[in-house]
Formats: sequence, C-alpha cells, structure tokens
Amino acid sequence: MTGLLILLAFLMAGTLVQHWTSAPIPPSIIGMLLLLVFLISQRKVPAALTSITQSLAPILPLFLIPVSVGVITHEQLVREHGLLLLLILAISLIPGTLVCGWIMSRGKRS
Amino acid sequence: MMILLQTPLFWTALTIGAFLLGQQVYRLTGNLVLLPPILTGIGLVVVTLKLTDTPYTTYMEGGHYLHDMLQPLIVMLAVPLFLQLRALRQDALRIALAVTLGSATTVACAWWLTSWWIGDPMLSQTMLTKSITTPVAVAITGQLGGDPSLAAAFVILSGLLGVIMILPILTLMRIQRPETVGITLGVCAHAIGTSRALDLGEREAAYAITAMILTATLHAVVLPLLVSLF
Repeated sequence: MTGLLILLAFLMAGTLVQHWTSAPIPPSIIGMLLLLVFLISQRKVPAALTSITQSLAPILPLFLIPVSVGVITHEQLVREHGLLLLLILAISLIPGTLVCGWIMSRGKRS
Repeated sequence: MMILLQTPLFWTALTIGAFLLGQQVYRLTGNLVLLPPILTGIGLVVVTLKLTDTPYTTYMEGGHYLHDMLQPLIVMLAVPLFLQLRALRQDALRIALAVTLGSATTVACAWWLTSWWIGDPMLSQTMLTKSITTPVAVAITGQLGGDPSLAAAFVILSGLLGVIMILPILTLMRIQRPETVGITLGVCAHAIGTSRALDLGEREAAYAITAMILTATLHAVVLPLLVSLF
C-alpha cells in the first residue's frame, strides 16, 4: 500500500501545481512528470513503487473498461460514421509508420 | 435478482469478472493479439447492458470505482519510463525524433482526414488523442473538446489496426531491426502494439514501451497548449 500512497501523493502534488499555474495539462500528467523528476534525482526506483507497478501494470486495461463501454452512448455516430472513422485510423497509420521507420533507420547502427 | 442491476457494486464486480474472463480467452487463444482482454471485457459488459436494458449512467455508478483509479495509474507510468530511459540513453536523439515526427505525422493525417471527410469538430478533436495510450487519451480529450469514450475507442482500434498493418509495412520498407519495429509499434499502436512487441522480443518491447510513454507525455503536454492557442 505504500506504493499506492506514493502515487496518490504525487497525484495530489500534480493537482496543486495545476491549480497554482492553471496550466492546461491534467493533474495526473503533472504528477507523472514530478514523479519522473523524483526518480531521476534518486537514480533508482523505491521498492514500494516497484511492487505496486508490478501488481497494477498487468491489469491496467481493466480500469479502462468503464470509460470504453461509454461508446454505447454514441450509437448514432458509430452507425453513421463508424466505417469511415475506421478507414481514417487505418490510413493515418501509414505515414506514421513510414516516418518512424525512416528516422529509426538513419544514423549509425548500435 | 433484478435488484442487483440497481446495485452499483454489481457493475464493478461484473467489469472485473468480464476482464478476468477476457484474460482467460486471451490465454486460451495463445495470446492472440487481436483479442486483448480489454476488448473481450468491453464486449461482455456492453452485451450485459443491452440485455438488461441498463443505461450507461447506472452502470457508471459502479464503473467509476475502477475509472477513478486511472489517475494514479497515469502517475505510475513514470516508473517504466524512468527504467527504459536509463537503458536507452545512448539512442536518445533518434528515439526523440522518431517519437516526435512519427506521432505528429499520424495524428495530423487522422485529424485532417476527419475534418475533410466528416467535418464534425467533436470527432476531429477526439482524433487528436489517437496516438496516446488510452488512460492518458481519456484524461486529456475533454480539454481538447473531444469525448473520452470515443477517444478510448479510437485508441484501442488504432492499436488493433497497428498490430495488423505496421509489421507488413516495415517489411515492405525492408526494415526488420528490433529498435525500429519497437518504436513504430509504440508510437502508432501504443499498449496493444507493445504487447505485440513483447511477443517479438525484449529489445522490441523496451523500445515500444519507451515510445508509447514518451508519445503520451509529449502529446499530453503539447496538444492542450496548441488547442488553447487556437
């Protein structure tokens, strides 16, 4: 539980920073960046964080089910534009893959 | 029996059960990437809601217990990012360029096509988060004028399409290097791409995880700023 408490503490820190700066970035992202800075300054991951990450990371998709199920509130939109949206998602992958593939093949081989 | 349908925690339990069943299905199909546990889970919950004629708001009274955990889970992404960054430091410049330009290209393309072919601003704005791993996409889409549920759907579908399309495209480009494959799967197909990368090998997976979290972080910071400027 110490790990979860650390995560919640950084989330609260993110919430405060977001409130003070009114940055248009969600508190959770600021919290993540703060935790990243903390880890870099420590040069290692505290054991409590390692253990919470190992137990929660594999089941992360579970927590996404409720919001994803919300697609049923957009039935009309899906029926009208669903196929076109799928086509757009597919087409847009092509330039992304070409650019990533091209850049990653530049430079010396490691 | 019917009283259960009005009990919020019934829906929490059902969601957990549906996910566990999804994990079993995934294992039984020999880790078929196109059938990730989240997809089976969503399907089972949707079918149950339809059969029992339960509105989404009733479901969410139970679902939000799980949903609220997304925020600390986003904070948690700093841990794998830190571990991978330390390991991949020597390749930093190439990774940074591929993540930035690769993700910008695919998102710009999707946004432009949606604006052109459909012209519904809400859908175009929701497209902006299509290259961000689902929890982060859900967190920022509201600020961009998009819809969280559709954002989740776009990201998951992108991941599935990416797993089908990316490897053949790279093969056509005669690229098989694990670093390239990993980065491309991470940038374009996020979590589902990363689980495909895990099947391919450790190096692919390391690059995919790095690319996925870097893309998410970059977009989460840049997109709201860009949108607030216009």
